[in-house]
Amino acid sequence: MENFWKKAGKGIKAFGIASWKKIKKAILGFGDFIKKLWMRPKGRVGLILLALLFICAVFAPVIAPFDPYDVTQRAAKGLSPSWEHPLGTTITTGQDIFSMLIYGSRVSLSIGLITGILTAFIGAFMGILAGYIGSWVDTVIMRVVDVMLVIPTLPLTIVLTNLFGKSYGMIIFIFTLFGWTGLSRVVRSQTLVLKNSNYVKAAELAGASRMHIMMRHILPGVSHLLIMSTALTSAGIMVAEAGLSFLGLGDPTAISWGKMLAEVQSGGAMLFGHWWWIIAPGIGIFLAVFAFMRIGVAMEEVFNPRMKQTSSVYKIFKNLNGAYIEEVFDSMDEKEKLGYIEEKERVRHE
Amino acid sequence: MQKSYVIKRILYTVLIFFVVLTLNFFIPRIGVEDPAERYYPPQGNMSDDAYEAVKELTRKQYGFDVSTAEQYIRYVSDLFHGDLDTSFKSGSPKVADLIFERIPWTLVLSLSTMLIGAILGISFGAFAAWRRGRWPDLILMNASTFTTALPSFFIALILVLYMGFEWEWFPAYTDPNMVAGFDWSWEAIGRVFYNAALPIFSMAIGSIVSYAQTTRNSVIAVSGEDFILTARAKGLSNSTVLYKHTLRNAVLPIVTSLGMSVSGLIGGAVVIEQIFNWNGMGTLFLEANNTNDYPLMMGIMLFLSTFALVANLVTDLCYSLLDPRVTVGDKR
Repeated sequence: MENFWKKAGKGIKAFGIASWKKIKKAILGFGDFIKKLWMRPKGRVGLILLALLFICAVFAPVIAPFDPYDVTQRAAKGLSPSWEHPLGTTITTGQDIFSMLIYGSRVSLSIGLITGILTAFIGAFMGILAGYIGSWVDTVIMRVVDVMLVIPTLPLTIVLTNLFGKSYGMIIFIFTLFGWTGLSRVVRSQTLVLKNSNYVKAAELAGASRMHIMMRHILPGVSHLLIMSTALTSAGIMVAEAGLSFLGLGDPTAISWGKMLAEVQSGGAMLFGHWWWIIAPGIGIFLAVFAFMRIGVAMEEVFNPRMKQTSSVYKIFKNLNGAYIEEVFDSMDEKEKLGYIEEKERVRHE
Repeated sequence: MQKSYVIKRILYTVLIFFVVLTLNFFIPRIGVEDPAERYYPPQGNMSDDAYEAVKELTRKQYGFDVSTAEQYIRYVSDLFHGDLDTSFKSGSPKVADLIFERIPWTLVLSLSTMLIGAILGISFGAFAAWRRGRWPDLILMNASTFTTALPSFFIALILVLYMGFEWEWFPAYTDPNMVAGFDWSWEAIGRVFYNAALPIFSMAIGSIVSYAQTTRNSVIAVSGEDFILTARAKGLSNSTVLYKHTLRNAVLPIVTSLGMSVSGLIGGAVVIEQIFNWNGMGTLFLEANNTNDYPLMMGIMLFLSTFALVANLVTDLCYSLLDPRVTVGDKR
C-alpha cells in the first residue's frame, strides 16, 4: 500500500513537472510569437488597438463615466457632445453614448473571440479527421460542408435565433455551427499534404496510433492555419454579430455596437442630424475588426514569409498551378490565399 | 469537358438539393410540439373548447393533422407540382406567389450592385495592376481592410444621414408609390432607380473593392505568361496588350464567379432592405420571422439555397467550358 502511494506521489509529481514545463514552453512560445508580431508595423498597430479595446472591455465600469445599464443614470434626451457627455446622449433614452460605446466592446469582442477559438477547434478536428482518416469519414464531413455552404447563412441564423431564443450563448453556438466549414476545408487539404510526408510515414511504420499521429504530427503542422483563422474569423464574426443585433436578433439585454446602430435608426438620429451618435458604434466596429484583420495579416507574414518556398501553404499551391503562381500568391491577401487553395483542392479531389 | 463529369456534377447537385430540402423541412419543426399552438397562441377571451376547435381547424387548414413523415411526403410531392405550401398570412396566399412578387425588387438591387461592382471593380483592378506598386495599387490593397471593417449597413446609415436627409439628393426611405404605381413606363423605371440609389451605393462599395482586388491579382498572374511576352515582343502598344491580351484572359475567373456573388448578394441584402424599407425578399423574410410564418421562411430559404446551388453548378460547368486549361473531367 505504502509503495502504491509512493508511486502515485511520484507520478503526480512527474506529471506536475511535465505539465508545468509544457505550460512554460507554451507561454514562452506565445511570448515569442507576440514579439514577432510586434516587430511588424501591421502587427504592432493591431496589437496596440486590440490591447486598448481589451482594456476598454475589462475596465468598462472604471473608464465609462456613466453606467448605461443603470436606469437612474439617465441624462436629458438627445444632448449634443459636451465635456460631461463626450458623445452626447441618445434621443430615445438619454443614455450616455460614450459609456454605451465602452460597454459595447464587451459583447463584440467576447463573441468574436470565443467564436473564433471554438471554430478553430471544430474546424481543426473535422479537417484533420476528414483528411487523415479519409474514406467515408471524409465523404460525410465534406458533404456536410457542401450543404452548409449552400444554405444562406444570415437567413438560417435568423430562423435559429427565432427557434432557440436570442441569448448570448445561443448566438455563439449558431455562429460556431456555421463558422467551421471554410476552415475545415483548408485544414483538410493541408492534412492531405502532411499525410504523405516522410515523418508521418515514419511514425506510421513505427506503429504509432492514428490518434497519436493526428495529435502529435498533424496538429502542429496545421496550427498556423488555426491561429490565423482565429484572428480572421473573429473579425468576420464581429461584423456578423453587429448585423444580427442591428436586426434586433442579438441578445436583447446586452448593449452591443450593432444594437446601438439599430437604436440610431429607430431613434431618428439621421432625421435630427446627430452624426456623433451614428459614427460612434461604427468606429467601435471598425476599430475592432481592423485590429483583428491587421493581426491576421501580420501572422500571415510571420508564418509565411515572402519567397519562402518551403512553406507548406506555398507547396500546396505550387503542386496545383505550375510556375507563374509565386508572384500572384505573394500579392494576395490571407483570405484570398486560403480561398484559392481551398478551391483548387476541391476541384482536384472531387 | 467529359459527359460523365457533367452528369456526375448534376446528380451531385440534385443530392445536395434533397438534403437542403429535408433540412429546410425539419429545422422549423425542432422543438415544436403542437404547431397550431405555437402559431396561434391562446387568445385571452377564448374559452377552452373554442380554442381547441380553432386549433383543430388550424391543423387541418395547414396540414398538421397528419404525422410528420406524411407531412414531409406531402411537402415534397407538392414541391414537384410547383407548390411551396401556404403562408400563414391573412388570406392564405401561396408562398411561391409571395416570393415571385418580391424577387424582382431584390434582383434590381443585387443585379445593379453586381454590375456596378463588376464594371468599376474590373477597371480599377486592371488600372491598379497596370500601375503595380504605385499609389493606385497601394490604395486598392489597403481599401479591402477598410471595406471589410465597415459593414455595409453602417455605410448605409451614413449615406442616409448625408445624402438622404442633409443634402436631400436621394430618398432616405423607399417611396411606397414605387411599388404600387409601377407600370413599366420610363418614368416608373426611373423612379425605381432613384429610390434604389442609396441601397445600391451602400452595397456596391464593398463589391467594387473585392472585384478590383480579384482582377488585380488575376491580371498580374496573366501578365507573367508567355503569350503576353510574345504580344509585347511583337511590338503591340501597351493598351492593346492590356485590353486585348491580358484583361480578356484575366477576367475569365471573375465572370464565372458572378453567379455565385448574386446568390450571396440576395441573401446578404436582408439588412440593407430593412434599413431602406425596400420591398424585397429580405423584408419579406423578416416579416415572416416576426410573425412565425414558417412555411414562408422555409420557402425563402429553399429558394435561396436552390439559387446558390444552381449558380454553383453553372459556374463549375461554365468554367471548364470556357477555360480549356482547366481539366476538370479527368482526375484520378
